[in-house]
Amino acid sequence: MVTPVEAAVESLRQISTEPPVWLVPKQELSQAVRAASKLLFASLKPHCTKSPFDELLIEGFDAEQIWQQIDLQSQPLLSSLRREVKKFEKHPEEISKLKVDVEGGKKKVLEEIETENVVVNDDDDEDDDIDMDEEDEDEEEEGEEKEKGREEESENEGEEKGGIEDKFLKIKELQEYLEEDEAREFGTNKKKRKAETKKHEEDTEDEEEEGDDEENEDDTDEAEEEEEDELGLFGGDDESDEDDLGNARYEDFFSRKKSKDSEDKAKYRDMLEEDSGSDDEHVDKKVKNQRKDGLSKHEKELDELRSKIEQMEKANLDPKVWTMRGEVTAAQRQKNSALEVDLDFEHNVRPAPVITEEVTASLEDLIKTRISEGLFDDVQKAPTLSSKAPREVKELDDNKSKKGLAEIYEEEFVQKTDPASAPLTFSDELKKEASMLFKKLCLKLDALSHFHFTPKPVVEDMSIQTNVPALAMEEIAPMAVSDAAMLAPEEVFSGKGDIKEEAEMTKADRKKRRANKKRKFKAKAAKRPRANTSVRNSDEGSKV
Amino acid sequence: MSIEASATMEIETVSSEPKPESNPLPPKPKFEPLKAHEMSDGRVQFRKVSVPPHRYSPLKKYWMDIYTPIYEHMKIDIRMNLKARKVELKTRQDTPDISNLQKCADFVQAFMLGFDVPDAIALLRLDELYVESFEIKDVKTLRGEHLSRAIGRLSGKGGKTKFAIENATKTRIVIADTKIHMLGSFANIKIARDSLCSLILGSPAGKVYSKLRQVSARLAERF
Repeated sequence: MVTPVEAAVESLRQISTEPPVWLVPKQELSQAVRAASKLLFASLKPHCTKSPFDELLIEGFDAEQIWQQIDLQSQPLLSSLRREVKKFEKHPEEISKLKVDVEGGKKKVLEEIETENVVVNDDDDEDDDIDMDEEDEDEEEEGEEKEKGREEESENEGEEKGGIEDKFLKIKELQEYLEEDEAREFGTNKKKRKAETKKHEEDTEDEEEEGDDEENEDDTDEAEEEEEDELGLFGGDDESDEDDLGNARYEDFFSRKKSKDSEDKAKYRDMLEEDSGSDDEHVDKKVKNQRKDGLSKHEKELDELRSKIEQMEKANLDPKVWTMRGEVTAAQRQKNSALEVDLDFEHNVRPAPVITEEVTASLEDLIKTRISEGLFDDVQKAPTLSSKAPREVKELDDNKSKKGLAEIYEEEFVQKTDPASAPLTFSDELKKEASMLFKKLCLKLDALSHFHFTPKPVVEDMSIQTNVPALAMEEIAPMAVSDAAMLAPEEVFSGKGDIKEEAEMTKADRKKRRANKKRKFKAKAAKRPRANTSVRNSDEGSKV
Repeated sequence: MSIEASATMEIETVSSEPKPESNPLPPKPKFEPLKAHEMSDGRVQFRKVSVPPHRYSPLKKYWMDIYTPIYEHMKIDIRMNLKARKVELKTRQDTPDISNLQKCADFVQAFMLGFDVPDAIALLRLDELYVESFEIKDVKTLRGEHLSRAIGRLSGKGGKTKFAIENATKTRIVIADTKIHMLGSFANIKIARDSLCSLILGSPAGKVYSKLRQVSARLAERF
């Protein structure tokens, strides 16, 4: 019988699958593909509840839009189907259940399913519609079979049990779940666990083992299963449970079974052998890795811990990272490695101020106020207190000193002994002159400022009066008229007697004059020391 | 008792006896210091100071200025020996002190060296004044023009450097060709000598002036 689905698939297959054909867009190809996809879409419609489209809209739609429609429909489908597949992975017996009900012809299909499951896992990114549709088709079939199997199961159980169970709560399933959990926790053999559950199919077991493992443990397990199948459901389960738990041995936990090693897992084990140190851990890891169905929670935690411990020990053995080494200079770390680390250090310098408009405005205001006030903060020189009186600087006199050396020393001596009577020094004279000037100035100021007139103080001063005509002193312009002299006549000459000129003198007068002169000279000569001459004479006498 | 008395008396007499027997020691004589005139067994003390030819006419000019203080204040006889070209000094009877003669001799010698009479008179009046002389070649061997330049440096323009030194150090300096004479107290002479030596050695006058200024300030401070 040819379902429309199969027809569509066949039609797709007929179209040549060589890639070069698809390079050039051809009208007939596109139409054929669109028709096929529409059919497939329609076939899938009943299984998908969430799809907004009733049928695939083709006319006038872009390839992208058509794809979007298909995607919308198939996404939820895919997720549900994946769940189903996972469930079948865990419980392959359900597939066998499906298989039992379905005809034997379906075996082929199941085998296909198995292979295609692998294919599904590997090829995730397929853009062609063909593979997608095929998968959809196969998974849909598988889902149907699963559902059927489950319904049968439930029917069987419902017959046996009674009132408690209904289609939601199935004590059987609950028990199975609990046993599975326990088995996971205690790490009992999974195969035994499987034996506890109800119906096994040899085929499924075989398939499983073939799919996953390298070795076969068919015979023993099958035998067990058959035996247990014969037993009552619950009782058999209990006994098997007790046997398993009671018979839990060291080997169950830490057995060295070499079962189920895929190539990947062999590699992983080798890696572990290289890395890990202890054999026990080794063994544990091997064992755990060898477990097919994943580890129990506890085991997983232990694994994590172990890996963490390994990491930390390794880190301890290695030389420390440069950030942990204390003082590190640039030569001891990699180039630019300090850039990658967030360094925190104290900045001793205040960060430069950000110049904003507000800042400049405030500065300008300050400047304006200062200028208006005249407050300039000028540096004022600190007044130096003169501790000593200013020393009198004695100037070097280049001229020949008028005083003799003796006089100089005399003055010095007098100054030492009797400072009061000492003659005025040059500086004293200067002081005197200065004080005189100041007195004059004060007098003038007083005269200007006082209402009552104060006359000048009389300073007796000796001055030489020259015998110059008064007019010459007083007036610049020479006047030939007056020759009145400054000095009085008696001041000019105070002589006595009759004064005669040279021409007027008689001979007698001249003689008289000469006689007076001689007298005076003689008197003078007599005053001079006469001892000189006497000593000389005596000397001359002694010499001789 | 009598014996004891006699003994004592004897002792006394013994002690007293030699006294009257021998002449009492003459009282310690009090010698007055010898007058200059009496020294060397009453012989007269002489000093003779030779007169260099270039000082001959100044001597004639200032004879009275020299003669008066020596004869009157120092009481030393002074005369000029024309033939020998020497000034001779002799103590008188009433010369109070022998040092007068020496002082007068120094005074006359100073005049002969070239000092003026009012400056040389200081020698008579003060004890602590000395005359020191040295030559330029003692300081540095200079020949020819260098020597002339050194002499010029010493005296300065119009003698102002020399006067500056004189005024600053209260000394009197006579530069006679290559000989230099200084008159003054010991410390002042030292300062003057230092300045002159630095001038001979070549330092400029300004440097000497500055040093003199410091020195004079220090000297002025002391009193």
